[in-house]
Amino acid sequence: MFGSVKGLSKARTFGASLTFALVAGTFGTGASAQEPLRISIWGGSWKDFAAENIGKRFTAETGVPVEYITGGTIDRLNKAKLSKANPETDLIFTTSHVGWLYASDDLYEKLDMAKLPNAKTLFPEAIISPFHVGTWSYVYTIAYRPDLVPADIKFTSWSDLWNPRLKGAIGLPDFDPSHIIYASALLSGGKTAKDWTMGQKKLLELKPNIKAFYNSDATSQEKIGSGETPVQVLLSGNAYHMMSQGIKINLVVPKEGAIIGIDTVGINKGTKKADLAYKFINIALDPATQTLVANKQKMGPVSPQAKVDPEIAKLPGLFTTAKQWKDQAIVIDHKQRSELLGDWRKWFTENLIAR
Amino acid sequence: MQDRRPAYFAWFILPSVFLAVALVASLASLFQYSFREYIPGSIKVGDFTLANFGRMGSWVYLRVFIDSLLLSACTAAANLILGYPLAYSLVRSKSSLLKSTILITTIVPMFTGDIVRTYSWLVVLGKNGFINGTLKAAGIIDTPLELLYTPLGVTVALVQYSLPVMVIILAAAISHIDVAYEKAAASLGAGPLRVFWNVTLPLTMPGILSGTVTIFAWTLSAFATPQLVGGGKVNMISNMVYQLGFSNFDFPFAAVLSMAALALIFAILGLMSLGMRRLERVGLH
Repeated sequence: MFGSVKGLSKARTFGASLTFALVAGTFGTGASAQEPLRISIWGGSWKDFAAENIGKRFTAETGVPVEYITGGTIDRLNKAKLSKANPETDLIFTTSHVGWLYASDDLYEKLDMAKLPNAKTLFPEAIISPFHVGTWSYVYTIAYRPDLVPADIKFTSWSDLWNPRLKGAIGLPDFDPSHIIYASALLSGGKTAKDWTMGQKKLLELKPNIKAFYNSDATSQEKIGSGETPVQVLLSGNAYHMMSQGIKINLVVPKEGAIIGIDTVGINKGTKKADLAYKFINIALDPATQTLVANKQKMGPVSPQAKVDPEIAKLPGLFTTAKQWKDQAIVIDHKQRSELLGDWRKWFTENLIAR
Repeated sequence: MQDRRPAYFAWFILPSVFLAVALVASLASLFQYSFREYIPGSIKVGDFTLANFGRMGSWVYLRVFIDSLLLSACTAAANLILGYPLAYSLVRSKSSLLKSTILITTIVPMFTGDIVRTYSWLVVLGKNGFINGTLKAAGIIDTPLELLYTPLGVTVALVQYSLPVMVIILAAAISHIDVAYEKAAASLGAGPLRVFWNVTLPLTMPGILSGTVTIFAWTLSAFATPQLVGGGKVNMISNMVYQLGFSNFDFPFAAVLSMAALALIFAILGLMSLGMRRLERVGLH
């Protein structure tokens, strides 16, 4: 490459070539560089999935690169609040009820559904609000290690968690107690999230069975993987990930149903790339992407048109039909959940977590 | 005497000014949050209120403060008991091999990350961890001991986390003792134990005091260790602040707890300062 040019020494040729390369590189970069579409999302497998299966296709179709700004759910919410006047990102992935916090703090654009043709065929449960739309679903439900729990202990109902033989065996999430609070209310005769106080007494009776609380996906996996909490109220995606690592875990959808979680996407208020943001969301909702959501991530697709592998479709908590949504899913009203979460957390912190 | 340092030396203070401004600004922000109303279901805060301070009287939060104080006191005490012999050997030993061994075993853990160190305790203290595995293999126990998610487990991890700092502080104090005092006592007939008890130990009292208070105050603000090793069952002040602020969005009350913890630490440091002055007046050194 650096062969000598007539009349120039090797050193000079090298210097000239290097200068040319730097100049060409600089101008080249300037010519092709485009402002990326910036996306706020969780790190780890969530970001990897979005980058691999949505971002790449988006860039191939638009020529616009994608930049991912990762962080925890609440950290990103706080950041969005602090940079409200000049948003750092264009799109935000978050959980359905947290999306309502963005909406109530005026951090989302109202969605123009006409610009999202793929949204027309989604399960109705995926249309969360005028501001955010579901991208995939999962459940929080009972998971246990069959090698560490006596074989005669069966889990068919949420009430089985109260079995005295499970003393000091259960792990619960501390960042969002809505699942166990709602289940406890249901078992105590409650009908909606507003009836949650009906389940307080029952939930207090669960205390002896609680070994520990986990504060992230990683600590949840560590606790069930090490056997410290052989029974957990666990995110289905995490359970499937652990199973893929060779850990024996049984996931159960209780007869009352499993608590649905829906991850959503919304557009930052004030973004200058709204059209590109719509394009990105539309790719996320495309049946082809939704097929990957189920088959690769083992998450529930929000599109009934996703072509789910029959073996994957059998997995508990992965809902692919309207009937499954009706019979097996407990959907807590997302807005109500966002409004009640503060009270739930306060009560849970003061009565279950604090000694 | 005239100060001959160049004028531009004054500019060297700039980084600390920036730091001080950032610290004061963040504390001021925290302070104003503590007087604002909490709005459930929103990350916005409401109007001026004093109600947040009233919640501090709740037994639930007082208990967290008491637990944190007890854990910090136990950690500081265990640090002193384990750290003093290590620091003494580090300074006084004639064996360079022993000195190197102490240095490596106590100081090197400082260079591993907080999370790595804490996660390793999960492996050591777990039901199927190193301790339970060894005791079971030796036939000492049949059922595993509950070490993880207990105050004992958290204290053990906190001691390992803070021990290097204690050793450094104590080693500095011991190395400043003029050995002539000890030789004088020995020449007057005092045995090694008496020399240590009546001369060496009192002369290192400033180091003991500053080391103990430093570890106590440092541990009081511990977060990662109780968060992971405590498993939500053993909570210290920082864990509660995190729970309230980042899970409940209750930033006003989280700010109140933070301010209270800060005030407590200042009070402890104030007491340490008083104690040091008293020691100086007594004229130990």
